[in-house]
Formats: sequence, C-alpha cells, structure tokens
Amino acid sequence: MAAPEDPSHIQIADTSADPDDTSTNDPSNITNRVTRLSGSTDTAASFQIEKEDHTLGNALRYIIMKNPDVEFCGYSIPHPSEDKMNIRIQTYDNVSAESVLDKALQDLMDMCDVIEEKFREAREEHQNKMEE
Amino acid sequence: MSGYTANQATTAQDASGIDINARAVNYTCGDCDGDVQLKRGEPIRCRNCGHRVLYKKRTNRMVQFEAR
Amino acid sequence: MTVPGAEELARRKRLQVGPETVSNQASTDFPGHWPGENHEWNLDHFRENLKVQFYSTPPPDPLRPDVENTDPALDLTFSLIGVDTAIANAFRRILIAEVPTVAIETVFMLQNTSIIQDEVLSHRLGLIPLHGSRDGLRWMKWRNKPAEGGEEEPPSDYNCAQFTLEVDCSWQEGGKDRMRQGETDPNKLYVNHSVYAKDMVWVPIGKQHQLFKDDPIRAANPDILIAKMRPGQQIKLMMHAFKGVGKDHTKFSPVATASYRLMPAIDILKPITGADAKKFARCFPKGVIKLEKVSPEDAQKDPELQGKEGEAKAVVHDPMRDTVSRECLRHAEFKDKVRLGRIRDHFIFKIESTGQWNSDELFLESVRLLKIKALRVKRGLAEMT
Repeated sequence: MAAPEDPSHIQIADTSADPDDTSTNDPSNITNRVTRLSGSTDTAASFQIEKEDHTLGNALRYIIMKNPDVEFCGYSIPHPSEDKMNIRIQTYDNVSAESVLDKALQDLMDMCDVIEEKFREAREEHQNKMEE
Repeated sequence: MSGYTANQATTAQDASGIDINARAVNYTCGDCDGDVQLKRGEPIRCRNCGHRVLYKKRTNRMVQFEAR
Repeated sequence: MTVPGAEELARRKRLQVGPETVSNQASTDFPGHWPGENHEWNLDHFRENLKVQFYSTPPPDPLRPDVENTDPALDLTFSLIGVDTAIANAFRRILIAEVPTVAIETVFMLQNTSIIQDEVLSHRLGLIPLHGSRDGLRWMKWRNKPAEGGEEEPPSDYNCAQFTLEVDCSWQEGGKDRMRQGETDPNKLYVNHSVYAKDMVWVPIGKQHQLFKDDPIRAANPDILIAKMRPGQQIKLMMHAFKGVGKDHTKFSPVATASYRLMPAIDILKPITGADAKKFARCFPKGVIKLEKVSPEDAQKDPELQGKEGEAKAVVHDPMRDTVSRECLRHAEFKDKVRLGRIRDHFIFKIESTGQWNSDELFLESVRLLKIKALRVKRGLAEMT
C-alpha cells in the first residue's frame, strides 16, 4: 500500500480545474431539501425543510402571515438534535399552499434587497457626512 | 481532541531498529538536566553527575491535531 | 379600508414596560387583526417605512458608558427601523453563525516542550481571529468534507492558508546571574519567553502570493498571548486554516458578538419639577433626562406648572442611553407620572467584529445570506413540485 501523502503538504491547484462545482461543504450547493409531509391537501400543507432553523423559520412565518389568503401559519423544529424545520400553511378558499410559500420566499428576497439598498444609501450618506 | 502520528515514521523506525542497532537515544538527566546519549545495552547513568534516573525526551514525530 | 392615525400607529408600536410586567409585546400588523385595515405585505409600503440610521458620534453602550477606544470599522452601532423582530433576529443569528470566515483548523505539531499541552495549544491557535486582504479571503473556496469512508482531498492553495510557528526560549546574556541576584522579571531573564500571535508566520502558496500581496494573512490582533515558556522549551508547529461557519465551531464566527436592543421610550405624563426632577434624572443613566427651566409659556400651557416658573423641569433628552432599569417606577412620587416602554420596530444593532470582516460589510453579508437561504428553499420547492 502506498504511504499516505504528508498531510501537511499543500498542493498548488491547477487553474483550469474549476473547484466550485464539487464543493459539498459550500452550503449553496445543497438542493432538494424541501419535502411535503403526509396528510396534506391542496390548500393545507406541511413542508419539511432540512438544514434550516429559527433563522429562516421565524422570518418566513412572519412574511407568510402578512398574506391575507392565509388562514393559519406556524413553524416548528420537531427535535433540536435534528436539523429539520416543519412549516404548516392553511389557506382560505382555493389558494394552493405551495403558491403561498413560493410568494413568501420571493417577498423575503425582495425585502432583503430593499434592506440592503437602504443600508448602502445610509452608509454612503454617513461616510460623506464624516468626510466633511 | 486526539492527535495521530504520521504512518511513515513507524515503518522508518522499525527498519532502523533492525538495521542500525547502534542508534543512540537522547535522554535528560533527572538531577543536572544535562543531555545523555545511550545506546542499547549501556548502563543507565548520567555521564555528568552519575544520577540513575533519566527521562526520555518528547518524540520528534509530527502529531496532528484539530484546532477544536 | 381605514387608515389608523399616526398617534395610534405609534401607540401600537410601543411595548409597555411596567414595574413587574411587559405588555403589548406581540406584533399585531397582520391582516385580520385590526378590522377594516389593510396589513397585507406591500414592498413599497415597507420601503417607505424602512429607515437605516447611522450615528455621527458612535452612541455609547449604555451598560459601559465609559468605554472608549473602539475602532468604528469593527465596532458598529446603527439603527434599523421598520422591520419586524423575526427579520432582525434572523440577521443577528446569521451574523453569529452563518457568515463564513477563515480560521485555523489543523495543527501539525513538530515539537512542543512547553508546559501548554498539545491539544490546549491547538485549541488556542484555532480561536485566534485572522485578518487578510478582503478580496483574497472572499476568493478562497470551501474545502470538501470527505464522503463516508472516502479519502480527504489534499488541501490546495485555493482553500487553505498555511502558517508556521517556531519559537525557542533561552537564557538572556547574564540572565542566570541576574536570577541568582533575585531578579524575577522574565523580560530581564529570558529571550522569547512569551509566544504571541504576531509570531505566527504566514507561508503564502501559489496564487496567494498575488492575491494577498498588499494585505497578507495575519492574526487580527498581534498581541494575543498564545503560550508562555521557559529556557530550554521549544514550540515548532505548522497550521492550516480553512473556511467555515460559526454553526460548525465558534472560532469561525466573525463577530465577538452581534446583538440588538429595542429603542427605549420614556413618556412623562405629568410634569415633574424641582427637587423631584433632580431625583428623577438620577433614576436614569446620565444624559437621558435633562433639566430645563420652566418658562412662562410652559406655565401658561400647562395648569399644573402655574407658579413654578424658573424651576427645573424634567425633560427626556436622549432615550437611547437608557437601560430601562425601571428605577423610576420604584419611587411612589414618579409611578403615575411616567410611562416606560420600548419601540417594537426600532432595533439598535451593535456588531462587534473580531477583525476579519468590517462590521458594515458583515451586516450586508448577513442580508445577502438570508436572501440566499430563501433562494435555496425556493429552488428546492420548485424541484419538489
């Protein structure tokens, strides 16, 4: 068996190889973490999202509650040792729960954009004022 | 967290134990803290002060740790 | 659709702080809570109400008002007004746990005859915050965790930073004589007796030479004491630093801490004058309550102030310095004259960076990461259906 490489040695990477795609540690490459729990109907569903916790859960719940079509919305973490979050959405009339979740995620993203924009503006204004 | 020693050092050590029996090992004297080199079979005594308790020095092998 | 008046809106945002209880705590701006009103999510309405406020003089931390010498780049206090608690908390949690940072992960110990054990020394090295060229650190990639039973990929220049630390402690010239004469100051006896973070030497590899040319990777604070040694002891080791998140290990957290508090609100319902006013001002931290002279116009406007012209009157000057200790509610003479509370959507953020990111960039990164989280779930949802 070949002797294992000296673990303290660092290689110089080949620039042509793109390391981005293969990284499993980079969180932005994990997909397929959303499942629909059993017992859901078109208008009332529980979704299980993996690798998320109160950070996204509470924020998402707030945005979903701002939707007037939503009869009920709540999130929970079934067990703190497992990295899973359940979110339940019940809607009035014939609105599909998925569309509500989709819209809420989009609203959350738009809100982040607005906050970023306002923060940058305020920061620039502050920097200009400090330079005077 | 635990560390582990590099594997190649072990094989090298085994090889040297068989080939070169005359490898001197460094010890530290218990009294005068002086360096003492002893080969296999030599009487265990400090060369400077004659004290008979010698301590082995820390290994030179690389030990790896996770900084956690 | 009824639109509530400005006063009513302000009242709804007020968290009441009583002597023993807190009330009006939950946010109520959901559709269906107030009959006839529209609280549907509206981006333009949100944009209008959102306010980010920086302060020209950094506001002092009310719990440590005498602390100075804070670097404004690393210690930022600003106000975020108009968001809900859930969102502000999401930013705080992301700041602490999910902003990626580079920190020492593996330590290769070649020699350690000091009194600090190998694992303790490694642990301390991991906790040292690193600093380097901002663009270079962002460029660094993640290191793949090996799959079950798989081989670990060897580290390379695009995901690893290498450091060495080699320090020998020895006697100074004449040190032994000085010790015999009774000298105990290690600075006069030994050479290299204390190992500091500035002794860590960065070894640039490959592309790192170019990327970190103007701003090499080093410890953010060079004066961190790593270990103490005495003559004859030696530390010789090599370290690898990788990217990680605070969720994995706290050493990867970019902030010493990130926190927010709600803006306190003090309402003086009935005027407080004279000696009472001075006592009232002492119930709060310095600068919160100011004493003003009662002017003739005040006396005309308020019947209770008749005949008290020239006396000192308590006026709320800077509620941001208040710690809401409710001291004034402990005194019978003020109990009914003042109402304490907090403004539910005014968050005073304090981001204390350890040195790798600047605090303002940290907040922007946190906002960006929340967006990425939502995007990931959105993609997952699309894949699911």
